[in-house]
Amino acid sequence: MKFTVNRNAFLAELATVQRAISSKTTIPILTGVKIVLSADGLSLTGSNADISIETFLSIEDEKAELTIEKNGAIVLQARFFNEIIRKLPETTLTMEVLENNQVHIISGKAAFTVNGLDADSYPHLPVIDEKNQLKLPVRVLNKIINETTFAVSLHESRPILTGVHCILSSAKLLAVATDSHRLSQRIIPVEQAMEDFDVVIPGKSLLELSRSFKDEEELVEISIMENQVLFKTKNMYFYSRLLEGNYPDTNRLIPDNFNTEIEFKVTELLAAIERASLLSHEGRNNIVKLSISSESVVLYGNSPEIGNVEEDLSYKNVKGDPLDISFNPDYMKAALKAFGEGEVVVKFISPIRPFTLEPTESDATFIQLITPVRTN
Amino acid sequence: MDKRTLYDEFDRLEEDTQGLVRKLVEMKQTMSKLIETNVNLEMENKHLRERLIEIEERQLELSSTKQELSKSRMNLEKIYEEGFHVCNIYYGSRRENDEECAFCLDVIYGERNK
Ligand SMILES: [Zn+2]
Repeated sequence: MKFTVNRNAFLAELATVQRAISSKTTIPILTGVKIVLSADGLSLTGSNADISIETFLSIEDEKAELTIEKNGAIVLQARFFNEIIRKLPETTLTMEVLENNQVHIISGKAAFTVNGLDADSYPHLPVIDEKNQLKLPVRVLNKIINETTFAVSLHESRPILTGVHCILSSAKLLAVATDSHRLSQRIIPVEQAMEDFDVVIPGKSLLELSRSFKDEEELVEISIMENQVLFKTKNMYFYSRLLEGNYPDTNRLIPDNFNTEIEFKVTELLAAIERASLLSHEGRNNIVKLSISSESVVLYGNSPEIGNVEEDLSYKNVKGDPLDISFNPDYMKAALKAFGEGEVVVKFISPIRPFTLEPTESDATFIQLITPVRTN
Repeated sequence: MDKRTLYDEFDRLEEDTQGLVRKLVEMKQTMSKLIETNVNLEMENKHLRERLIEIEERQLELSSTKQELSKSRMNLEKIYEEGFHVCNIYYGSRRENDEECAFCLDVIYGERNK
């Protein structure tokens, strides 16, 4: 194997596959990056127990300045390799595999010789059934990921809740996540016909996926296999394992009758919540109280040691019964951040029942749920 | 006490303390398990009692279904308020930091025919 490549282009590929490489693996070869050189270009692979990433650098990519002298493959210890490439003096580098899996890395006057591992001993990635694909713009998938993954559980005691439940049926893709304290659900229509699926994808995998995309404008193809999901773009294959087990029925958690409804500007409500949480964070149980009547809407934050804050909120519209309700402001903040701009309608049943947040111009495609805190 | 004895004494103390900490952790784990079992049994007991009442009432042909439901839900609410899950996802385990659980609230207050 021998090739020359632009250093920065190569580093960018390396950084992507390194998302899947852990130094704390029980399988030593997985601390390495697999490099395969073919007539079309250079492919890099990184893998751990949860995800595997394979990227491809084409000889047609001008910025990569890739020239291939001899095909081949090798595995190199990823962390060291990255450090070496990073510190090379010139804008291009040449790599050559010598005998006994030794690798020569040359850039300008610097020449490294490092020990590699036989690429044949690297585990094989799953084989994909290319028929079963859902195509989405990367931008859309990124949006869904941002709107749901923040609500997954971080506790391993119920592993299934650390994932995002994704269901494709009747030309709709539904993604929902909950840690049992709050819930976030997005539904999007999909055009491409494919077999329905019902899977739970680890939240961590989706975050890494989102960070691995380089171009929001391209399409990503999603294929579901038995216990794996593959996200494929022009230059990247991203595999994740699926979580096993039944995801709880979350549909029944979302109420459809309410007694109090109120509309806010997202940015205004978020700013007020942030102010109130300055004090609630100092308190023992981190709660703020919202007091709603037909005349006014007031937000209270309080810390016995430091003091309290009271803010008359500006709102768009209020209807229904008066209500006093307490909740954890951090869940509200995370929820509002997922909305971005625009207006939100918050709907309540009672001080002890979960309340919902939806965009005002709602077509029931994005909904969040927060459980209030009972105060006695 | 000479320096060496002092040092040895420290070593011994360190070992003892580590042993103590290990024991403490073990005891704590056993205790949480016991509490969990206890809550499970309590709930089962309550369920069984309810079942008994239900059967008795039925025998007396006193059928007011709604009241029965609210009674069993009140029991669940009580267990929830004591800090335990009544949902089938975390059933019987402690609610961490007394955080609220949407699944439990559905079990206690939700519509049954949804
Ligand atoms: Zn629960």
